[in-house]
Amino acid sequence: MSTTTPSAKRPFGVGARLRRKEDDRLLRGRAEFVANMRMVGMQEVAFVRSPMAHARLLAVRKPADAADRVFTMDDLDGVSPIVANSGLPGFRSAGQYPLARDKVRHVGEAIAMCIAATRAEAEDLAERVEVDLDPLPVVADMLQALEPGAPLVHEHWDRNAFLETRVDDNLDDVKRRAAIVVTRRVRTARQSMAPIEGRGVLAWFDSRLDQLTVTSATQMPHIVRAGLSECLGIEQGRIRVVAPDVGGGFGYKGILLPEEICLGWLAMKLGHPVRWIEDRFEQLTGNANCREHHYDITGYADESGRLLALDCDAVVDSGAYSSYPFSACLEAAQVSSILPGPYVMERYRCHTWSATTNKPPILPYRGVARTGVCFALELVLDAIARKAGREPHEVRLENLVQADQMPFTNITRKYFDSGDYPECLRRAVAALDIPKWREQQKKRLPDGRRVGVGVAMFCEQGAHGTSVYYGWGIPMVPGHEQCQARLTPDGMLELRIGAHSHGQGLETTLAQVAHEILGIDPARVRLIHGDTAVTPYSTGTWGSRCMVMSGGAVASACKVIAQRVRSIASHLLEAGADDLVLEDGSVRVAGTDHALTLREVAHTWYRQPQRLAADVDPGGLEATSGYKTTQDTGTFSYAAHACAVAVDDELGAVEILDYVIVEDGGTLVNPMIVDGQVYGGAAQGIGTALYEEMPYDDQAQPLASTLADYMLPGATEVPAIRLEHMETPSPLSVFGQKGIGEGGAIAPPAAIANAVNDALADLGVEITESPITPRRVLAAIAAAKRGAS
Amino acid sequence: MKPLHFTVNGKAVVTRVAPRTHLADLLREELRLTGTNLGCEHGVCGACTLEVDGAPARSCLTLAITCEGAKVRTIEGFDDDPVMAALREAFSEHHALQCGYCTPGMLVTARDIVIRLPQADEARIREELAGNLCRCTGYVGIVRAIASVIAARNSAAGGR
Repeated sequence: MSTTTPSAKRPFGVGARLRRKEDDRLLRGRAEFVANMRMVGMQEVAFVRSPMAHARLLAVRKPADAADRVFTMDDLDGVSPIVANSGLPGFRSAGQYPLARDKVRHVGEAIAMCIAATRAEAEDLAERVEVDLDPLPVVADMLQALEPGAPLVHEHWDRNAFLETRVDDNLDDVKRRAAIVVTRRVRTARQSMAPIEGRGVLAWFDSRLDQLTVTSATQMPHIVRAGLSECLGIEQGRIRVVAPDVGGGFGYKGILLPEEICLGWLAMKLGHPVRWIEDRFEQLTGNANCREHHYDITGYADESGRLLALDCDAVVDSGAYSSYPFSACLEAAQVSSILPGPYVMERYRCHTWSATTNKPPILPYRGVARTGVCFALELVLDAIARKAGREPHEVRLENLVQADQMPFTNITRKYFDSGDYPECLRRAVAALDIPKWREQQKKRLPDGRRVGVGVAMFCEQGAHGTSVYYGWGIPMVPGHEQCQARLTPDGMLELRIGAHSHGQGLETTLAQVAHEILGIDPARVRLIHGDTAVTPYSTGTWGSRCMVMSGGAVASACKVIAQRVRSIASHLLEAGADDLVLEDGSVRVAGTDHALTLREVAHTWYRQPQRLAADVDPGGLEATSGYKTTQDTGTFSYAAHACAVAVDDELGAVEILDYVIVEDGGTLVNPMIVDGQVYGGAAQGIGTALYEEMPYDDQAQPLASTLADYMLPGATEVPAIRLEHMETPSPLSVFGQKGIGEGGAIAPPAAIANAVNDALADLGVEITESPITPRRVLAAIAAAKRGAS
Repeated sequence: MKPLHFTVNGKAVVTRVAPRTHLADLLREELRLTGTNLGCEHGVCGACTLEVDGAPARSCLTLAITCEGAKVRTIEGFDDDPVMAALREAFSEHHALQCGYCTPGMLVTARDIVIRLPQADEARIREELAGNLCRCTGYVGIVRAIASVIAARNSAAGGR
């Protein structure tokens, strides 16, 4: 349980375990997802997609009887390719046409779009479109991509790499001193983020407003508007992007979609609404787009396991194109900046490649590069601990940044704002009860299975801003986050923000923030978000930023409203503004029952202005205010994950016996929602660790096309996770809150892999590839046996 | 197009349907009952679970034409149901939903568990949920919510 508790005067404020305002419509089947919306005259869209990973597009032949219902890139006059360049030196640029032109570069790339009255009929039409493809040699693997002479995904480039980055250092001295040297080759599989709701777009043109409206299941409506403007060649004022209820994001919906451009163009061309709803086959075969990393990593340590240096070559399979706005290089460049994790070291060298392949373009998935980085680093730390002959957590305790070093600037100049990392790990180790499992390990489980324990740690930068992002030179740099707050004439509060909620519960938590500042009942607060027509600009919902940034903006705007309310009430109550307190939905002369409700104050401002003071602030009860953290290097939440697993060395099956998380998210605005974020993230991390993989053959054909072969963890795969909180307030945010949304998904692959390797240690087995499927476990055991004989 | 007569949420429906149309598409696109969400359209994720003749069914794998004479109940048809009311309360209390997309199907399955298996423990609840995927919650709140409704019903029955 958390210890953050709301104050007596603000029972529904920061720290309240408030039930969610959004639940009712979701529980009664009254939510408004894109697929639930339809309009008069609407037509459905189905795409013709490439069955090949790399081919020259020679011709597209439309059925003669339906040529006016099929569209190719040649039809899309005035449409520019998506360009998402990074400003980092050496970035290789290539645009992505929303429908393929000249070449296709991954399976599932859209070639043509077809419209009909129903989706089924649109798909019938798509099947009748003939596409001539001339196959080209395929780049199916990221290491193959970088080899000299590899076929080029983009022919005007000299090499299949969007970007190479280098952090260099002289390791000579460390190499001489290191008693322990551990080198590992680590690999993580390509995944599909697989929100249960896929993508979806509904577009129409409003001739009265001369405006294109694109309703899309997106995490970032304002960024989509900017991108649509660039690609469609029309002013942003003529575009409105609306995100309705969105059924999960996780990064999958943090992108300008080719389909958004296509449908936007169609709506303007045809004059009637058009809708496209992604199906699961499209998603899995054409959009498995995250997590695929390769590491050749060496850790240098002294004889006790104290880390001296890391040396790493890392490759990220970035796919065929650079996605807007994050670009193809965010992931790999992030690898080099965060690989050191929460640990101290003397030297650090890291070389990364964003490899270009004939696969879907990479997108940052919950945790972005951290999940792969944590996996690689924590495997190395366990290997070092084994060589040192010590418990892995003991080695980590000595390598972590210590509490008395906080705030701490690490070797890649990340500013860790607060916390006690060793204490977090100690608590997780104690909660798991490692000695108990070590005893069990000696005698195995009654059914003969082996037992292992594993730990992993990370820290997670959240809500980082301008100074972190401008250096990347990508199409999006976050600045101030804004909120527009308005008391309505009946004393309700409307909050308008440009970020969007797709499960995080912002309608609830931001109402709690408003309550904290204004004392207003959260039931009387309405959040209006996800609509570029009525909200301030925002880069959107990503990077664990909303509770810090939108929360800060709401607090800031509510403080302005509070001041205005005090000022108006001061005149009406004939009291000094400084003597007034806001509580229980009223403004009160402190220590008296002389008070006005917010409703009465609002009524006076809007309906009885004759009662206002002559010098009243003309801004009234509406204010837009911007917010940044006191420095924009990001809040750093952190967590220790510890688990015990059973491993069947005959069948290769892994079962999680116990799983403990101790995390520090600073001040928890709504502990119930924070718990939900951590649990849900951990479930996704367990999927990464044990189940989820999009395999490709040597022609880059995706080998999973349904949820029966791309396995998401279900209720029987995810254990009853035990969660504890530490709550070290961030000195950078308004209430001390830290970004927490991604952390759960970061450490499970590392913790579980370490536990599996611990269970198999006496066989000399070490698995360094995720997911840890039975096939991989048995192959590793067989390889170890061959090596030993 | 073939004629179809069946009952949806207690109301008689007479319509015509293409033989290939699945029940979820008919409900969502023709009858505008959009509470039934589609997640995979191949019967794995469970988001489209609803009730056909009193038992949970995948509406994405159920051809509408096979529902002649059937009684179909969607998430919109449970507003007067006391078990569903208890589950909705428990789902909110235990934070058993985030994005809410899997929730209608999850609730129909949950109601079936509660009614059919009054002795279900946590392990059994998890087994029974194996056909409903949730990508947000990690199932923690869902399992707790269902267990709490089972416990409340058992305690009410025992006190009688």
